[in-house]
Amino acid sequence: MALLQMEEWYDLARETNWTPRYVPEDELYPLPMSNDFGIPVEKWESFDEPYKVTYRDYVQSQRDKDIGAYSVKAALARSDFFRKASPHWKALLALHFSAVCWAEFHSASAFARMTRFSRSPGMRNMATFGTLDEIRHGQIQIYFAYEFLKHDAVFDWCHKSSKTENWIIISLRHALDDIAHTRDATSAAIMLNMGLEQAFTNLQFVALSADAAKCGDHTFATMLQSIQTDEARHAQIGEPMVRIMVENGRKKEAQQMVEIAFWRMWKQFSALSGIGMDYYTPLEHRESSLKDFMEEWVIGQFGRTVEALGLDLPWYWDILKHDISTFHHANQIGVYVYRATEWWRPIAGTSPEEREWLEEKYPGWNATYGKCWDTIADNIRHGNYDKTVPVAPPLICNMCGLEVTGTAGENWQPVNHHVDIDDRRYHFCSEPCKWIFELEPERYKGHKSIIDRVFDGTIGPEPDDFYEYMGQSPAERGVDGYDYQWIDGYDDLSSDGLKRAVG
Amino acid sequence: MADFPLAVNVQGDYGYKVVVVDSHCTIDEVIKTAVDQIVSVLVAPFPEEAVLRARVHGATRPLDGSLTVREAGFIQMEALQIYVEE
Repeated sequence: MALLQMEEWYDLARETNWTPRYVPEDELYPLPMSNDFGIPVEKWESFDEPYKVTYRDYVQSQRDKDIGAYSVKAALARSDFFRKASPHWKALLALHFSAVCWAEFHSASAFARMTRFSRSPGMRNMATFGTLDEIRHGQIQIYFAYEFLKHDAVFDWCHKSSKTENWIIISLRHALDDIAHTRDATSAAIMLNMGLEQAFTNLQFVALSADAAKCGDHTFATMLQSIQTDEARHAQIGEPMVRIMVENGRKKEAQQMVEIAFWRMWKQFSALSGIGMDYYTPLEHRESSLKDFMEEWVIGQFGRTVEALGLDLPWYWDILKHDISTFHHANQIGVYVYRATEWWRPIAGTSPEEREWLEEKYPGWNATYGKCWDTIADNIRHGNYDKTVPVAPPLICNMCGLEVTGTAGENWQPVNHHVDIDDRRYHFCSEPCKWIFELEPERYKGHKSIIDRVFDGTIGPEPDDFYEYMGQSPAERGVDGYDYQWIDGYDDLSSDGLKRAVG
Repeated sequence: MADFPLAVNVQGDYGYKVVVVDSHCTIDEVIKTAVDQIVSVLVAPFPEEAVLRARVHGATRPLDGSLTVREAGFIQMEALQIYVEE
């Protein structure tokens, strides 16, 4: 008997919106988990995924991808890449793996919610694959990261970080909890898939994979490619959902979901990937700056996608265009000077040659953020290492959990937005962060930033209390990745300095 | 006497910091505390003749330097800019 072609049975096979006989519809799909936004079920049934795949094909394809990635890893295991890698690349690997592994693994929960509670059978089908994808992404990245444990205990944080109250982890976890883990299936599908995967991670993994290949890290590059191809597929789950919302009078709700999710993920992307692109990627392998990437792929391509779906560009688009040249530069200074609060070995990334690149990509950088680096470098040059760490802690945004920053140096422009509720002041780094808070103060007001926890007594008064609260033993507190031997350029590193830095 | 956290951004610095003062401190003492913690760490020293003032974030007028934190009616974590008077 001849097998049917996929297109002959696919639509029928995924049509699983059966009529329940033993439970009422509202118990099968309870509103908090399965918001239909008042749209009739036949409209949700029109969900049509752009990229169709059967389970048989999915399994075969994933198996092939795994074989490819693990084969490259096995073949290159003896290449000693990590030991010889620069502190730049080591810092980038440590930051990537410790921020991404668990986040991917946790995403399986959000996809599983879509699998169970979506009103669209087509989306339930796609989300099933998404659930499996995210489990795989968590596992493969932890496995690959653990290869480096024998060289560097910092990779313990690939698994450990999500269980800690480290301030960077709190920031990322709060954002992901907001858009993915505390939303109904419909909202999570739009916010996670449109706001994170379609806007950022799909494209980011392409760029990072290319950078990894240029740096000779072919294991990392192959692993990222194997993940990115999944991201590209389930990034498309959000589009049909938005289309159904817009066509059925729910544009306002869809617009708001995209605006919240996009901004929350932009802040994370800016702080983590922005620093990775503009400071941690070795200069000789850098091509695009964060700004270049954002202008082409996000402001350009994602912006066109949003409009093609019948939504408007987010109201804060002009704020975003300014933020792509400022926020991550300010945050990089903070990440460096408060380095002991991080688990990896941060890189300044501001040697004379790197400053030239930053000035070229961000005209005016030397006169603004560069001025803070002048003072830091001056202290290092004179051996005043204790003065490279501020006594005063930073003010943390009560939405994104990152520093409240503005423009430094000669064009000094302080930025601060605030809301007062019940005698408590909530600070925000940006108008959109404040806007998100004010949409639902009851949802957000109970959360305390790491600095709030210092001042309300949650964290003890002794210096070590702060680190212990964040899960950092003395050996897990970040130090300069180059042991301060970068201020005059890497070419001038003494052999002793390089040895200390590279390890 | 009570610890009173304030958010301060010293001219030239990249962002706000949290500085703890006593509620009986004057604005001039707040300025001195902030400068001690930020200048020469993230901001180059100001010229000796520079006169530093403080203003509430968003305000245009400087605060009276002799006013205490309590008298100013600040809420905890009030945001202050510290800048060189022109």
